[in-house]
Amino acid sequence: MIFFIVQFSRNPTANGVGVDLLKGGIMKIGIPKGLLYCKYHPFLTTFFTKLGCDVVISEDTNKNILDAGVKYCVDEACMPVKIFHGHVASIKDRCDILVIPRIMQLWKNEYICPKFCGLPEMVINSIDNLPPTISEPIYATSQKKLYNWAKAAGKYLGKSNNKVRLAFHSALNAQRDYEEGIFDKGYEVNVALIGHPYNIYDSFSNMNLVKKLNKLGVGIVTGEFTHEDTLRDVAKKLYKKPFWTFTRENYGFAINVAKEKIVDGIIYVSSFNCGPDSIIIELIKNSLPHFPFLILKIDEHTGEAGIDTRIEAFADMLERRTRIESNFSTHG
Amino acid sequence: MKVTFPHMGNIYIAVKALFDGLGMDYVIPPMNSQEALTVGSRYSPEEICLPFKIMVGNYIKAIEQGADTVILTGSCGPCRFGEYCELQMNLMKDLGYHLDFIVLDMPKDIGIKELFKRICKISSPSSKSTYEKVMALKNAIKVMDLIDEIEASAHYLAGFERNKGQCKEILEECKREVMNFSNPKVMIETLKDYREKLKYISVDINKNPLKVAIIGEIYTVIEPFSNFNIEDKLMDYGVSTKRGLTLSWWVKNMVMSPFKLNSIKIKQSSKKYLSMAIGGHARECVGEAVLAKKEGFDGAIQIFPMGCMPEIVSKSILPTISKDENFPIMSLVVDDMTGEAGYITRVEAFIDLLERRRSNVLFGS
Repeated sequence: MIFFIVQFSRNPTANGVGVDLLKGGIMKIGIPKGLLYCKYHPFLTTFFTKLGCDVVISEDTNKNILDAGVKYCVDEACMPVKIFHGHVASIKDRCDILVIPRIMQLWKNEYICPKFCGLPEMVINSIDNLPPTISEPIYATSQKKLYNWAKAAGKYLGKSNNKVRLAFHSALNAQRDYEEGIFDKGYEVNVALIGHPYNIYDSFSNMNLVKKLNKLGVGIVTGEFTHEDTLRDVAKKLYKKPFWTFTRENYGFAINVAKEKIVDGIIYVSSFNCGPDSIIIELIKNSLPHFPFLILKIDEHTGEAGIDTRIEAFADMLERRTRIESNFSTHG
Repeated sequence: MKVTFPHMGNIYIAVKALFDGLGMDYVIPPMNSQEALTVGSRYSPEEICLPFKIMVGNYIKAIEQGADTVILTGSCGPCRFGEYCELQMNLMKDLGYHLDFIVLDMPKDIGIKELFKRICKISSPSSKSTYEKVMALKNAIKVMDLIDEIEASAHYLAGFERNKGQCKEILEECKREVMNFSNPKVMIETLKDYREKLKYISVDINKNPLKVAIIGEIYTVIEPFSNFNIEDKLMDYGVSTKRGLTLSWWVKNMVMSPFKLNSIKIKQSSKKYLSMAIGGHARECVGEAVLAKKEGFDGAIQIFPMGCMPEIVSKSILPTISKDENFPIMSLVVDDMTGEAGYITRVEAFIDLLERRRSNVLFGS
């Protein structure tokens, strides 16, 4: 039953605004460019464009957005959530309706993080004067369940079922056609870049890590090119199946690339105080005790010079390791 | 097989009743102390939450006393607690201890067969008959209910007592004395005596003490060591406290959850602010804050360990409740580095604030 619960913003002006606004002209839908936008933006933008709405997307993360996020968000939250708050604050005055994706599950019996499930509540209670929000839960476990979200969102905007169905299918197609991930070729030294997607693909929060590594002559491989079945198989070896999607994927990817010798080292980009990361880093360390493994902690205070030094040192180390022919671990 | 378990409030009393009833060998780890925390945080991952560190401290202390098997409950919610077992297994192995873990997970995740297998593994060294085993479990649950009831009424009556400190004394005496018996039946009788005793202490019903609800993450509110004995301190100040999250509540909640009949009152009151379960006890925290206001409490204190994901969500909702309902709520974050003095100052200041609010002309309007 819970899938059908449509939760609207508690903002008193919110009730029924959607349909009324439609009469005034094209509706502007605001989509914050934070968290999993980097992964699912084709779906979101296509869906609302095909419904005949104007899509307003916040700009790339920058200092102002981060500052606004830090100002509005609770202190204990991690940096990506703070950045999301900043994105919302930056577009809230430019749109009629705001989309806050409450992604509950991407796979069956797997979550992302409790903060994702409660994201709309966090945003609504932290930022004042928000426009009405679309914050229905997204269960992407099957096409049918995902369609529930589309139906609820379309209903809120006052669109006909037929239109919603068409928009939903073209949005799904757009998402399927979209390919992300980095697989560099032609570099002598390669590393696997692991972490939550919003840390890897947000070049502001990770301080241009991808470009910096390429400049140092280090190629990058990300997890998207490993087959889902392989990831699952590797994670099955654990005592308990991880119940966070990215934990399972990152763990599977890390163990797989290390075993297949696709890369020379692993860089894990983790935001400070991230719950799932605190567990998965330990799991990877336990399974790969003698593999080069660098953990980059990022938060809103991270100094760029410190990060630079660390990745340079790591790149140097990897390069030296590849030069030594008999590259055996001293541990046997 | 010598069984041990991590501390969590009064669970040791119930576990004692259970294993005494089963006639099995067990080790109760030494009560939580700074030493256990220091040992635990030395070996634990850096960013893990406080309960993990204290638990690891418990295990190591229990191993010193000869324990070789740990019983742990699990969960498959989005909260980190569900992954504790895996990490702790690896950690204890790396430290060179041969510790067996029996993890009791929800049947929907591991299957009912596997759960029964694990329960059988726990009770297999016991020579008792199946009926006696079931009775032992029943007695243990009864003990847990009783001790939680006694504790709750002592905490509440502390604000009304005429002889200052009487409730606290009775509660401490009760916990001390019940541990002297090894027969679950006698334990239950003793607890019942104390329950009667608490009913007949002299109270001043004309008193109008401050009433504070303790809400937040389940481990840190239940385990007195992790929250610096906040409830005892509030008893000393003559403040009545209520805590909705207890072990008996947890058991009841877990049993009822497959039928979706668990904590209906909390679900209803939290609906306006947080409409769905997001893992951990965020919804309970929000619901209890709203309930506390309805029940005429003066304020609420939220306690959670650093980095607790569900409670971060509820922390961001609580200010809105506070504003809407005109209800003061304070959030306290604890971890292994929390200093007691700063923490107590905040609690005292909060109590002062609640007291002064009452003399305000606008109070209650």
